[in-house]
Amino acid sequence: MATSTSNVTVKNVSRKPSKSGRVNMRLTLGDLFGSGTRALTRYTGTLLTVFVVQSLVAMAVMFATAVVLSQAFAHLPVFDEAVDGDLVSLALCVRFAKANLLACTGIVLSAMLLWQLASWFLVGGLNGVLAQRPEGRSATARCFGATGTATYLAYARLAVCSVPGWLLVLFVFATCTNAVSSRLEYALTVADLMMPLAVAILPALALTHVLWTVTDYARVELTLRHDSHDPSLIATYLRSLLFVLRRPLTLAHSAFGWFGFIAITIGYVYLAAGHPMFGAEGAVTLFVIRSGVALARWAIRFAVLAGQVDLGGSRPLPPRRVDVKAKPKLT
Amino acid sequence: MFQRWILVIALVASCGHDHGPPRVRKMIEPVADPKRTALRGGGPARSPRIANYKIDARLDAARHLITATETLTWTNTGESPVDSLPFHLYLNAFKNESSALMRSSGGELRMAKASDTGWGWIQLDSVMMGGVELASKMKSTGLPDETVSELPLAQPVIAGQTIEVSFKFTAQLPEVFARTGFKGDFNMVAQWFPKIGVRTGPPGLEQWECQPLQATTEFFADFGTYDVSLTVPNTFQVVATGVLTAATESPGGTRTFTYRAEDVHDFVWVADPFLNQKHGTAKVDDGPPVTVFVYYRGEQEAFANRHLQAAIGAVEKFSQYFGAYPWPVMSVIDPPMDAMFSAGGMEYPTLVTTAGDSVFMRPGIHIPESVTIHEVGHNWFQGILASNEVTEAWMDEGVNEWADAHVMQDLYGPRTSGVDAFGFQADMTALRAAVTADPNSLPQPIATAAYAFIDQAAYGSTEYDYTMRALLTLEHDVGSTKFMAAMKAYAKQFSFKHPTGRDFWTALSQALEQDVGGFAHSAFQEIGGLRLAIRSAACRPAHGVRGVIGDGPAKKTLTETEAPDAGAWSCDVVIQNTGAVHVPVDIELRFVDESTQRLHWDGVGTWQRFPFEHSAKLASVKLDPDDKLMLQTPVEYTYRLEGDGSAALRASARIAAWTQTLLQLVGP
Repeated sequence: MATSTSNVTVKNVSRKPSKSGRVNMRLTLGDLFGSGTRALTRYTGTLLTVFVVQSLVAMAVMFATAVVLSQAFAHLPVFDEAVDGDLVSLALCVRFAKANLLACTGIVLSAMLLWQLASWFLVGGLNGVLAQRPEGRSATARCFGATGTATYLAYARLAVCSVPGWLLVLFVFATCTNAVSSRLEYALTVADLMMPLAVAILPALALTHVLWTVTDYARVELTLRHDSHDPSLIATYLRSLLFVLRRPLTLAHSAFGWFGFIAITIGYVYLAAGHPMFGAEGAVTLFVIRSGVALARWAIRFAVLAGQVDLGGSRPLPPRRVDVKAKPKLT
Repeated sequence: MFQRWILVIALVASCGHDHGPPRVRKMIEPVADPKRTALRGGGPARSPRIANYKIDARLDAARHLITATETLTWTNTGESPVDSLPFHLYLNAFKNESSALMRSSGGELRMAKASDTGWGWIQLDSVMMGGVELASKMKSTGLPDETVSELPLAQPVIAGQTIEVSFKFTAQLPEVFARTGFKGDFNMVAQWFPKIGVRTGPPGLEQWECQPLQATTEFFADFGTYDVSLTVPNTFQVVATGVLTAATESPGGTRTFTYRAEDVHDFVWVADPFLNQKHGTAKVDDGPPVTVFVYYRGEQEAFANRHLQAAIGAVEKFSQYFGAYPWPVMSVIDPPMDAMFSAGGMEYPTLVTTAGDSVFMRPGIHIPESVTIHEVGHNWFQGILASNEVTEAWMDEGVNEWADAHVMQDLYGPRTSGVDAFGFQADMTALRAAVTADPNSLPQPIATAAYAFIDQAAYGSTEYDYTMRALLTLEHDVGSTKFMAAMKAYAKQFSFKHPTGRDFWTALSQALEQDVGGFAHSAFQEIGGLRLAIRSAACRPAHGVRGVIGDGPAKKTLTETEAPDAGAWSCDVVIQNTGAVHVPVDIELRFVDESTQRLHWDGVGTWQRFPFEHSAKLASVKLDPDDKLMLQTPVEYTYRLEGDGSAALRASARIAAWTQTLLQLVGP
C-alpha cells in the first residue's frame, strides 16, 4: 500500500500496529545494525549527496582560510617551514599573525554554526526518507525536501528545549573537574593523569551521549508523528528521555556509532603520523584519503540514524492525535 | 548510579600520593672534608669574608616557627666610618599586605598566590652589642614595609674595625610564597635571619646598600662564613647550604645538624620528613669532584633523575666555561608538587630549588632540565660573581640565561636543546625568542633597577630574555671563541667580588681588545632595540637607455627595439633599521636560478640601498642568513618577491579536514 504525504509518494512500512495503536516490535542491536546496512545500500545516493554538501562547506572553509593565510604569509617563507612542522617557525607565525589566525578560527566557527542550522533541515530530510522509504531519485528528493522543511522549525525549537540539558553537562563537567583539579595539576605520569581525567570528563561525556541520543529520538518522533500528531516539544523531549532511559539499547546503539567514528579518526591520525605528504601529489593524496575518512564516518552516522528511525518507529504513539493535521491521502 | 559516581569522584579527589606517617630517619654521617673546610679541596679564603654568621636555630615543625640565636661578626672594609647598621628582615615581607613585596606583587608571583592565612614574620627578641641590649633602638626605615631595620651606633665603626652583634629572634615561616615558607610538612627556610647590608661605592664614599624586598628584586650580601646548627624533629631530612660537619641526637626526639659554609653570601635550608635523596659526581678539572645531590619526594623520582643529570652537566660545563665550582657539594631540591610554583626555581649558594615536573614535560621536552641548569648556573652568576640583584638584575639573570643557552646546547644538542619529542625539535634559545616579547617593544632598557620595572612581565622579558639575546648578538658579532674567553676572563677577575655593569663592560672590552661600549649603550641603556626590515625589493629587466638621446640633428629616439632587454635584471633592495641598536648585517639574495649572492651592511645609519644587476631575477631576500642577530623576532627576515600561497593552501587543507570532523560532530 502506498500513501501520499505532501505530494510525496512513499511506501508504507511493514510494521503492524496493535489494537492500541502500538507497534509490536522488539528490535535488537542486530536489527538496528541491519537497518543501517540496508539504508546504506538503499540510499547511497542520499548519503553521498549530503556528504558532498558537507564537503563543499569544508572546501569553502579551506578556500576562505587559504585567502586569509595567504594575505599574511604569501611572501614569508617562514610559514612554509611552520606548515612543514618546524616548531620555532610555527611559534613565530602564531605570534606574527594572531589576527589572521583568529579570522581563520572565526571562519571555522561560522561554518560550524551554519552547519548546525543546516543540520536541522538535513536531519529532518534524512529522517523523513528513512522513515517513509520512498523509491526513486525524484521521490526521495521530494520526500527529503518536504520533511526537512516541515520539521525544520520543530527541530529548531527542540534545540532550544535541550539547552537546560547542555547547561547540566557544563555543570557536571565543571564540578567533576573542580573535584580533581589538584590531581590534574600535579599529575606526573600518564597513569597519574588518566584517572582524574576520566573522572573529570566521563560523567559529562556520558551525559552528553544521553542527551544526544534523546535529541535524536525526539527528532525521529517529530518526523514520524508530525503528520498525525501534535506533540508538544517538551513532551516529546521528555518522552524521548524516558524512552532512552528505559531502553539501554538506544544508548548502546548510538555508542557503537561514536566508537566507530572515533576509531576511524584515531586510526587515520595514527596512520598519517610521519607521512607529511609534501608537494601537489601529496596534497591530492591527502585530500582523497581525508575525504575517504570523512565519508566512512558519515556512513556510520547515517547507519545509526537509520537504526534510530526504525527503533523510534517501534515506540508507542504520542497521546495527542490531531485529526485536523494532514491526513494521509490514499492514492 | 549517581551515588556511585559521587563516591568515585570523592575517592579520586582525595587520594593523592600518600607518604604515610613520618618515620625516624637513619642518622646521617657528616661528610665534611678532613681539613674541616667547606671549600672543595681546601685552601685559603676566596673572598674577603666581611660578614660571618654563627646561628643556632630550632624548628617547631608543627607551627613552622624558628627560634634562634645569631652572632654576626662584621668588618668595615671601607675607608669611611659607619654610624649605623642596616639589617634585612626579609621575612617581614610576608607579614601583611603593607609590605613592599605584597604591594608590588599584588599577592601573586610566578603563577603562585600568597595565602591570606599563612603570614610570616621575624621578630627580634634581643639585639646585643658590646654587652648592651639595643633591641629597642632598632627602627624600620621604610614603613609600612618592615623588611629593613636600622641600628644606630653610639660609636662609629672605623675603617678596618670588626664588630660583633648578637641576636635572639623568632621567625614564623609563611605559607610558601616567593620561594620562602612551608607547604604541609615541607619547609623552605630562606631569607630567615637578620642579615646585614653591603657597603658599596668608591673608597671613602661608601654607602649602605640594603633595599627592601620587592616582587622583582632578589638579594645582595657580603661574602662570609656560616656556622649554623639546626635542630629539627628526628623524622626530618635536612638539606642546607654548605657541608654537614656534625650530627647529634638531641632531647625530645630531635636532632641537631651543624653546617659550615665558606665564601658564600647566604644560608638557606630545607626540612621535610618525606624527602628522598640521590646523588652523582661532577668532574671538575682542578681538583676533587663535586658531589651533586637531588632531594625529592618519591613520586617525583623520574624527574629527580633528569634533574640530577642536568645538574651534573651544569656543574661541569659552567666550571669549564667560567671557572671551577669552588664548593664540594651542590644540592638540588625538587619541591613537592603543591609547592612547585611557590618554592621552585630559586638559587642559593650550593643549594638551589628546581621546578618543571609535570606529566606534560615528557622526556625530550627539556624545560625541567633548563630550570635546573639555570639555577645551578646562578652559583656562578651571583653566587661567585656577586653582582647586585636589586639594581642590576641583568648581571645575574640575563648573563646566566646567556650561559644557560650554551650549556643547554652542549648537553642536549644545538638543534634539540629545547625540544626533542613527538617528532618536534627546537633549540631552546630560538624557541624562547619566538614566544617572548620582541625586545624592540619593551618599554624600559635593560639597565633598569629591578624594582623600577613597570610590572613583572616587563622585568622578566627585559632582564632575562633581552639580555640573553643582546649578549648572543654581541657574541656572534665578535666571534664565539673570543667572547667565551672574554667572559671567562671577566669571571676570573671578579669572582668573590661585587662586579657592577661598568666592571662587566670594561672587562669585556679589555679581553676582546675592542670597545663594546657603543653596543652596550644602545642595547642596555636605551629602548628601541633592533628594528631591521626589508623595506623594498624589486627587479626590472635590464636594458640600454631608452628615450630621446642627443640634440640637434643627432637627436634620436631609442625604443624597445633599439634598446632591447639585455637578458639581465636590474634589482634594488633597501634595508632599514629604525631601532636604537645598529649592528652589521649580512643579506643573502637568492635568484630564480637558485644562485645566491651575499651583501653586507655595516649597520651605520637608518637605511641602505643596494642596487645591483644579475643574470637571473631576484627570488628572495634574507636578512641575517647565519642567524647572528637575536635582538628581534625574525618573522619577516626572509621575503620572497613573488607571493606563494601553496603553504597557506596546505595549512587550509588541514584546517578543512578537521573542520569537517567538527561538522560531523554537530550535524549529519
